[in-house]
Amino acid sequence: VQPPEKPLQAEEWNRLRESFRSPEIFEEVMFNSMIRCNSPIDVAKSLLTHVAKSKGDIAYNLLIKYLALCVQQGQTSEICDMYDIMKTRFRILESGAYNLLIRGLSNSDQWRMALTLLEEVKKIMIPSRTNYESCIKAASRHQEMNLAFELYHEMLAKDLVPTLDVLQAFFDFSRGMKGAELQKELFGILLYLRENQIYPHKTFMRSIKLWFESIPGGNWRGHLTNIKDSGQCPVCNHQLEDSDLTEEEYNNLRERIIRDVIHGTDTFRKTSPQEFEAFQMFVENRLPFDIVIDGLNVSHIKPRKMHCENLFDAVNCLAKENARLLVLGRKHMLINSSNWKRGIMKEMQNKADFFFAENISEDDAFLLYATLRSGKHCKFVTRDFLRDHKACLADSLTRHLFRKWQRGHQISKKMFLSVFIQQPAFCYDCVVQTTGDTWHIPYKDTFEEKYSYRVPRKWLCIQQK
Amino acid sequence: MQSANVLLKKIVRSSVLPFAAQHGMKKDLFPLGRTLSLSFCLKQDNSCNPSEKLDLDAWKKVIRSGLQDEVSETVSERKELSSSAAAREVLEMWRLAGRSVPENISEEQLKTFMECPSKSAKKKYLKYLHLKELHKKNDKRKMDEKRERRLEAEERASKTDETRRNSFMCLWANGMDRTYGWRAAQSMIFGQPLVFDMSYEKDMSVREVANTVRQIVLSESCNRRSVDPFHIHFCNFKGDSLYHKEFIKHYREAWGKLLITVTDQCYTDVFPKHKLIYLTADSPKVMKTFDHDKIYIVGSMVDRSIKTGVSLARAKRLGLETAALPLEKYLLWNTGGKNLTLDQMMHILLTLKDTGDWKKALEFVPKRKYCGFVSKPVHELKKTLNLINTLKLGKRQEEVRKQFAKNYSKKLTQK
Repeated sequence: VQPPEKPLQAEEWNRLRESFRSPEIFEEVMFNSMIRCNSPIDVAKSLLTHVAKSKGDIAYNLLIKYLALCVQQGQTSEICDMYDIMKTRFRILESGAYNLLIRGLSNSDQWRMALTLLEEVKKIMIPSRTNYESCIKAASRHQEMNLAFELYHEMLAKDLVPTLDVLQAFFDFSRGMKGAELQKELFGILLYLRENQIYPHKTFMRSIKLWFESIPGGNWRGHLTNIKDSGQCPVCNHQLEDSDLTEEEYNNLRERIIRDVIHGTDTFRKTSPQEFEAFQMFVENRLPFDIVIDGLNVSHIKPRKMHCENLFDAVNCLAKENARLLVLGRKHMLINSSNWKRGIMKEMQNKADFFFAENISEDDAFLLYATLRSGKHCKFVTRDFLRDHKACLADSLTRHLFRKWQRGHQISKKMFLSVFIQQPAFCYDCVVQTTGDTWHIPYKDTFEEKYSYRVPRKWLCIQQK
Repeated sequence: MQSANVLLKKIVRSSVLPFAAQHGMKKDLFPLGRTLSLSFCLKQDNSCNPSEKLDLDAWKKVIRSGLQDEVSETVSERKELSSSAAAREVLEMWRLAGRSVPENISEEQLKTFMECPSKSAKKKYLKYLHLKELHKKNDKRKMDEKRERRLEAEERASKTDETRRNSFMCLWANGMDRTYGWRAAQSMIFGQPLVFDMSYEKDMSVREVANTVRQIVLSESCNRRSVDPFHIHFCNFKGDSLYHKEFIKHYREAWGKLLITVTDQCYTDVFPKHKLIYLTADSPKVMKTFDHDKIYIVGSMVDRSIKTGVSLARAKRLGLETAALPLEKYLLWNTGGKNLTLDQMMHILLTLKDTGDWKKALEFVPKRKYCGFVSKPVHELKKTLNLINTLKLGKRQEEVRKQFAKNYSKKLTQK
């Protein structure tokens, strides 16, 4: 239905209502379309008046819809009115109403009232992150940075993930402000990006740059740049952090892989204890490897070719540099068939070590174990994203470690041309990083979602003169 | 217009202000009253032409005047609520706001609701309760209608007053039950065993366990009604488990009289190992024929989150033979998981036992999951299926694009 352009009289509303095919939901539908068309609130008011006069009361859902319309148009006095009406009419309000009220009030000069509402929400439930977002933005817009940061920390303590918008607001509104405390907080946000491997988008990056350059007496200068493959920043010649994990992280990750990925709830799901033990023995006796290859995955690279030929090419290509290879496969590869020729398999086994798992076992788990066991220099070859294995890891911290390690150690394309394009192993780590007088911040070029496996290639280099 | 005037008069007579003063309400209300009248004047000035004289803020007065009787109690009552009462109130408000929330909620359900770990879990649970309530209401309505119709029919029948004589007494249900009982008792002695492995409780959520038990109840009843029932065994069944609680909920006192074997022993202790075959969709082996000498095991598990390989792991651990139904071989699979519900499994096994006809047995696989029975080589059928899909869903463009991508990548590799 098309909402009218002017406020209507009671009779006119009645006429409209009767012409509607299901009159019992007429008001609801009408309000929805008013919100959609952003009708003037006077029209909505006239409908409310009509409803109030004919029924003696207005249902809660209609009030909410009217409130949504007011919020949409920033009618502050109306929003305050609505709050008072609803507060006296109903004993408590629910999250939908609070969301609207907080959003509406935080954008007005009554923004402090949004804060009191936030307190009210806390009494009945955990506020949503958008609730916090509105309040934080309102506070920082009015230069109350302490208050904003207080809310921000409170939000983090409740395990809510702040939106990039909130983080950006901090940088936008602290521009040119002085204070060691403030600076520390904003550095804290940058470290939050680092810890959670979040990459700011272009406009956010610009806010960060402008803030740095605006610090009074800070002498910071920012440049946009691309990092060389060697990991050196062309602007300040600084070498970025390498992608290696620390000893502790490395051991931690290995333990977790064994515990969560290989054993999981039941060792029998992916392998069997006997088989895993045999594999461990096998690996221990032949350590360390330089490259571990997922045989089955590699053998499917070129669909026109025989499976064993694909694998043969890969092994030949990698064996050239005198590297110690381990190829993981399944037992069925040993049976002579149209895809697996015994002769070629024999020849390959002279060039690399092979381990054949049971046909119903998962070889990926073995791949991870063998690579991690061999040490930091060891890389692995597969086109698989290993997402299902990452998902088995229990906490997000370990998952981040896994991602970082994977970026540094997975070779997937380079030597074999395939449809699938992924980045080669990086030698530097792609996260926000600092040395005290420099900051390097990777950023996304566009707003749109990048592939989760792809890391940004563009960087913001900030240095102190 | 006249009615509006009457209403306004009424409002003036019982206006909010004296009332508020009377009850010593907080001062917040007063400034509000002022802003209200102010905006009221403003809006009248610029939005409507004076001839129409529309009072746009009249609704506020109406809603406030309607309030008066309630306000006094809410004000006095607004003390600290207990958490469950508060939750109840929030639910009520959500319902008013038009969310999917049940009208009535028991204390127990409320507790479950409050224990939900996240907001989305809460939402899901409420929606589930809401739908359940709707179904219940609908059923009740239908029952009532039916009863009314029956009463009417009876009335009409009594008018005609013709009692028909019949050589059988009207004891159909009872007699049938007795026959089924006989058959089941026979199967307890001579029947082929069928094992339900009840060791998956810790792999499932409470709702999944409830679903499992429901499916087992259905399969038990269809087994009882068959010509040649299985001898059902519940193995690994713990006495104080959730399974047990759910079974009691379904069967009540009949639970003790069921003609099945319930044991806390493992099937490997009850039967010789070489006779056991564990049925699981993850099995690499495909069942060719139904073997009347083997004992088939079905895992009593509903798997809503995707936990592959759980039952296969169990069979592997015990070193049992496994098998999967030959779904791929006989059906042109379309969508959906290859894991079937327990009652479908029971239907299929019963049909296989009676006839050995795969086609007949696999009729019980839900129709939405497959497109038809395989008569030609599978790859040919796949081609036709793709064609059908392109025609039906207009996937043509995507197909073309895919083809292009293929050629393009080929070009890349040739370079």
